[in-house]
Amino acid sequence: MDLSLETRTQDGCTIVEIGGEIDVYTAPRLRDKITELVGEGSYDLVIDMEKVDFLDSTGLGVLVGGLKKVRAHDGSMRLICNQERLLKIFRITGLAKVFAIHGSQAEALAAR
Amino acid sequence: MPASAATPGSPPVPGGVTVSISRDPALVRTVRLVAAAVARRTGRDEEFVEDVRLAVGEACALLIGVSAPDGDGSDQPVTVAMQMHDGLAVDVSSDVPIAVPHPRGLDFGDTEPWALLRGLIDDFHVHQDGPTTRVSMSWPDSA
Repeated sequence: MDLSLETRTQDGCTIVEIGGEIDVYTAPRLRDKITELVGEGSYDLVIDMEKVDFLDSTGLGVLVGGLKKVRAHDGSMRLICNQERLLKIFRITGLAKVFAIHGSQAEALAAR
Repeated sequence: MPASAATPGSPPVPGGVTVSISRDPALVRTVRLVAAAVARRTGRDEEFVEDVRLAVGEACALLIGVSAPDGDGSDQPVTVAMQMHDGLAVDVSSDVPIAVPHPRGLDFGDTEPWALLRGLIDDFHVHQDGPTTRVSMSWPDSA
């Protein structure tokens, strides 16, 4: 499955809903999308990974890069992830402590 | 428990599966699918299959990201040799000069690219044998 990216705004945040696989092949598209959003002035991002089937370290690197971009503008990046296999990746790499990870969009939006 | 001494271009290992791909990130997914199919043949649970799929894809992605500034290794295939014998052993190798991703190739941000493999697998080694970089991973039967 390829990567799908859908964006919308809600409560002043830009929600990026990702589907499919984030890997060495598709991650550059996610990086470009985040760069585009930040370039347009969207500094509060909610990255919804509920429909992500696969994530590797290239994808993690893109998310870390995105976090640095929004923080440079005093923004925020919150992740939505409730799949154990993805949460395990964040724990193994120590990134579970770096990202704010929520279980749903409502929870992420309420956490602002 | 090394999978084999398979190197890029070598024949398949006896009793195992060997896949060789060109240095194209789009092909890593294909290797992941093969790795998952081989992992399922061990009879272990889906969590194990997912670990193998992730680890093999990760190793391929890291070796594909290897490229010296002068382009050395850019046209070398990546070979994945999987062998089931007292567990599962996987070697991912390529004739590339260094065992770390080239910083221009991938955006890892502040993440350490090998951290995921180290965390996933107890038996994980990176070898440099002449021009060949080999990532060896194994999972014993009862892990």
